[in-house]
Amino acid sequence: MNNSEKKRMNGEAEEENEEDVEDEGRDAWERTYTDERSWEALEEDESGLLQPIDNKAIYHSQYRRRLQSLSATSAASRIQKGLIRFLCVVVDLSKAAGEMDFKPSRMAVIAKHVEAFIREFFDQNPLSQIGLVIIKDGVAQSLTELGGSPEAHIKALMVKLGCAGDSSLQNALELVHDTLHKIPSYGHREVLILYSALSTCDPGDIMETIQKCKKAKLRCSVIGLSAEMFVCKHLCQETGGSYMVALDEGHFKELLLEHAPPPPALAEFAIANLIKMGFPQRAAEGSIAICSCHREAKVGEGYICPRCKARVCELPTECRFCGLTLVSSPHLARSYHHLFPIEPFTEVSARQLELSRVASKTCFSCRESLLTPGTNKAGPCAACTKCKQYFCLDCDIYIHESLHNCPGCESRRITPAAASATMS
Amino acid sequence: MKFQIEEVTVYFPYDNIYPEQYTYMVELKRALDAKGHCLLEMPTGTGKTIALLSLITSYALAKTESPIKLIYCTRTVHEMEKTLAELKFLHNYQVKHLGAAAKMLAIGLSSRKNLCVNPKVSSAENRDSVDAACRKLTASWVRSMAAENPNQPTCEFYENYDRAAGGAVLPAGVYTLEDLRAFGKEKGWCPYFLARHMVQFANVVVYSYQYLLDPKVAGIISKEMQKESVVVFDEAHNIDNVCIEALSVSVRRQTLEGAIRNISRIENEIDRFKDIDAGRLRAEYNRLVEGLALRGDLSASDAWLANPALPDDILRQAVPGNIRRAEHFLHVLRRLVQYLKVKLDTDKVEKESPVSFVASINSDAGIDQKALKFCYDRLHSLLMTLEITDTDEFLHIQTICDFATLVGTYARGFSIIIEPFDERMPLIPDPVLQVSSLSLSLSLSLSLSLSLSPLCMLCLCCHDASLAIKPVFDRFQSVVITSGTLSPIDLYPRLLNFHPVVSRSFKMSLTRDCICPMVLTRGSDQLPVSTKFDMRSDPGVVRNYGKLLVEMVSIVPDGIVCFFVSYSYMDGIINSWNESGILKDIMQHKLVFIETQDVVETTLALDNYRRACDCGRGAVFFSVARGKVAEGIDFDRHYGRLVIMFGVPFQYTESKILRARLEYLRDTFQIKEGDFLTFDALIDVMNIELTDRNLNQRQAAQCVGRVIRSKADYGMMIFADKRYSRHDKRSKLPGWILSHLRDANLNLSTDMALHIAREFLRKMAQPYEKTGSTTGRKTLLSQEDVEKLGNNGAQEMLY
Repeated sequence: MNNSEKKRMNGEAEEENEEDVEDEGRDAWERTYTDERSWEALEEDESGLLQPIDNKAIYHSQYRRRLQSLSATSAASRIQKGLIRFLCVVVDLSKAAGEMDFKPSRMAVIAKHVEAFIREFFDQNPLSQIGLVIIKDGVAQSLTELGGSPEAHIKALMVKLGCAGDSSLQNALELVHDTLHKIPSYGHREVLILYSALSTCDPGDIMETIQKCKKAKLRCSVIGLSAEMFVCKHLCQETGGSYMVALDEGHFKELLLEHAPPPPALAEFAIANLIKMGFPQRAAEGSIAICSCHREAKVGEGYICPRCKARVCELPTECRFCGLTLVSSPHLARSYHHLFPIEPFTEVSARQLELSRVASKTCFSCRESLLTPGTNKAGPCAACTKCKQYFCLDCDIYIHESLHNCPGCESRRITPAAASATMS
Repeated sequence: MKFQIEEVTVYFPYDNIYPEQYTYMVELKRALDAKGHCLLEMPTGTGKTIALLSLITSYALAKTESPIKLIYCTRTVHEMEKTLAELKFLHNYQVKHLGAAAKMLAIGLSSRKNLCVNPKVSSAENRDSVDAACRKLTASWVRSMAAENPNQPTCEFYENYDRAAGGAVLPAGVYTLEDLRAFGKEKGWCPYFLARHMVQFANVVVYSYQYLLDPKVAGIISKEMQKESVVVFDEAHNIDNVCIEALSVSVRRQTLEGAIRNISRIENEIDRFKDIDAGRLRAEYNRLVEGLALRGDLSASDAWLANPALPDDILRQAVPGNIRRAEHFLHVLRRLVQYLKVKLDTDKVEKESPVSFVASINSDAGIDQKALKFCYDRLHSLLMTLEITDTDEFLHIQTICDFATLVGTYARGFSIIIEPFDERMPLIPDPVLQVSSLSLSLSLSLSLSLSLSPLCMLCLCCHDASLAIKPVFDRFQSVVITSGTLSPIDLYPRLLNFHPVVSRSFKMSLTRDCICPMVLTRGSDQLPVSTKFDMRSDPGVVRNYGKLLVEMVSIVPDGIVCFFVSYSYMDGIINSWNESGILKDIMQHKLVFIETQDVVETTLALDNYRRACDCGRGAVFFSVARGKVAEGIDFDRHYGRLVIMFGVPFQYTESKILRARLEYLRDTFQIKEGDFLTFDALIDVMNIELTDRNLNQRQAAQCVGRVIRSKADYGMMIFADKRYSRHDKRSKLPGWILSHLRDANLNLSTDMALHIAREFLRKMAQPYEKTGSTTGRKTLLSQEDVEKLGNNGAQEMLY
């Protein structure tokens, strides 16, 4: 490398540094607005009306980056994933949760995002169950038992919101350990702790409790709200969980939602084993039965356990009487995609699109035109690597985040051979 | 990795190297080429030690025609062990690459206490008693006695070693102290004497500063080191103090009383010998007439601490007539002790120069300068003749003779200070405290018995650090002085009086800003905070300091370390915090531990502090900036996420010793008093900071397996005093801290500091990438990078 080249490179590096510095050098009040500069997203059109700028492309590129990083870690090697999860969410409601550095308070922010998380969790893991635990006044109490109903958990949390006293990590872990260690071996035991406090007042030696959790194969993850604590880090390292500290509300939400997709299975669970499951029938309209979960007579809207004929209110759950795991087939189907994610689509430049042989220039799934309205120029779009069909950006996101099936590949698969196979 | 620095092939045991390590090596190599001394500052935790070892051993391998020897001096045994472990790792790497050609012998040398394998001896509690116990078993007359009388106990290890004689050699390799002991046990040879013997042949010797700087020890151990040696003083920021301490003596009342006891015992011995073996005393007399230069003939086990003074000619001269006879010598000693006793019976501070002191001794006690000069060697010779082995009993008289010899030898660079001295507050004088403690001690002594008068100390202080180190500079080809903090780097050559060929300070390249220094000048009520004497007791300042800590404990996780300027100030401030309830507020968030002057207590407190940090309870440790107890303890990682320095820890400027030293520095080296004080205060702060922060993270990556946990280390420092914002004070901080001290963090109030701390902690908690390749700052060089650098000439990178 000659000198001039080197200098140029140095120069570049310096520029980058300067940018960094600029970014860091912003004042705190400026930083809060960097994410949502609402005034910059507006633009005047010919008639003088304010019109929002099309941010779609920007969002899309952000989304793609996330997708790529995700697939880089997970899809690189086909990893076995724990689909049946038993997750205890521990919410720290000690007095540190009342601090106002998150607006309006840490507690409110936690509650808001836990709600979103619970919904997202059940959407992605229909076979899994959640239990809520709170820490208050130095003791841990179980808010809800492990269960599959998002509404029940959310309601319970909202009722109990309010903070006081010290926080005790050890008490929480003991409680969670007691709850989780008895669940069957095929289930993945996970703990997610949302920790506001910076210290823990424990009755005993927390290191022993951590070892106990490790032995019981609890995967403990912590999301901190203020700063890094050694003991939390130690806990996560020992039990194989992740430890993150939230920078701000947006970051907190992101960190929380990262826990929604199933984590890779622990090595101990990696052996395949068969699980007995029941697929209950929906109770007939108007039939009256004593519900096993509420212990009272209910009309209609329930499921009948195929083994003992008890009535349960919702799925998935475990039959109270015979202990059979009750699920419905869509639940199984929805969990399936985690094992075989669709590969991210490749981006197609406008020029490629124009040159392509696809005559219609429409999105394969929604049939909208891929050309930007008015200008008749080709807009950004994406293509599936397998079936080579083009999709608009909205559909790209929809396919990867909700549908988990590529319409192009699915429709192509009905070849005559396949069709005859299904017929027979 | 293996790379070229000019013509030398450097073997570096890790796959990656930091840029500053590379430049450090380049500079070091130039100094070696020039056969000159050098002064290098590089932040702690950047892998100084391995860079040094790797370059110097590689240099020795490259220049086979003129073999050089490496003498590596460390401050503590712990550091010695660490260095040897590092060297072992390096050596294995070199052997893997070069085979047998890379063979070398490296040993660590320490006192008998650390090396002795004889269970009877090593069980003694302190160094002096181990030495004495060893001498009891190995002194030449004891052994000759044992030859006749089999019941006389001897040390089998030493006997075996002695029997093996020339055959007792260490095979090539790197020996830590543990290895030496194991080798000694296996072979049945005494490791201590084996190591001392092998020091002459080893390629690398690792030992303590004292072995080179303290003339008493250096005379025996380091006499035979070749000129073609590279001497390294690691962690040398306090080297001037070490030099000064090596030549300073303090005498107290107990010392004198002990000396009198010693003298009477010697007298008895002499009488006893006169009866049994008068010939021996006569033989000694004859020897003294010929001069003292006979020590070379003594067997190794008899060697004693050599003369504390340095002139070579002293050994050639005959011992003056008036102390040749044992009885006469004892009379002289008695008169000297008596004279000192009278001197000590004073309650006012006195300062004298050696010349006038010697003159007054001459007139009052009738001892001339020449006799004084020979005291130490004369005593040595006498104890030898009397076959006294329990030398630890005779420390007092040795101190006196030590004192006499130094006074007699040096006319410049010393002064004698007699100061009232309170035993319970050793060397931590504080005006406020002195008043209070004096009254306290008075009332105490009154209640005890009315006989105790205030204690006095007579101190012979050396002011010139260059005296002790001069022979080292003169004797050896290259002397490398290196540390994490040598700022301001131009002061050291003046203090030590030498001319370095290279003197440089290196910055640390970091992948992220992992240290966050802040200068806090105002409390939350905008009033200035300071420990300046007129402000320190102001309730507003005390309250503001308290508020700062209360706020910080609520936002900083795990451990916080607070440093105060003195014990008395700490006691005072904790008291008033306790009264105003601030301490209770702190305890709500974290447990509080306090350093005291009791070693056991403090060790316990530290232990519990660490446990509290580990288990997540969180803790605050209150310590004193110049306290010796907690010195050298790492507050790294979560044990010290935040360090708060309350005030500027200046030395007690009214101290006579310090005053005298300052005057001397001003007169002789033209160093301004203020400069030195600030320098000294800040060096002290920085040492604490450094040991705390021990930024281990930088060893990262190159030895991923070893320190992967600590590479993510980060921490904050708060300097809470308005004086830190002054440029002249601040500019004495080492460059690598200054470079992290942003202008925005210079003049903060409590709430601003809180805000910065909160953000910093959040940012640092994010997962981070170790090589820094994406951030544009390259902080780790691979083999190719280094080769590229080598081809381009390192010039560009350096300047």
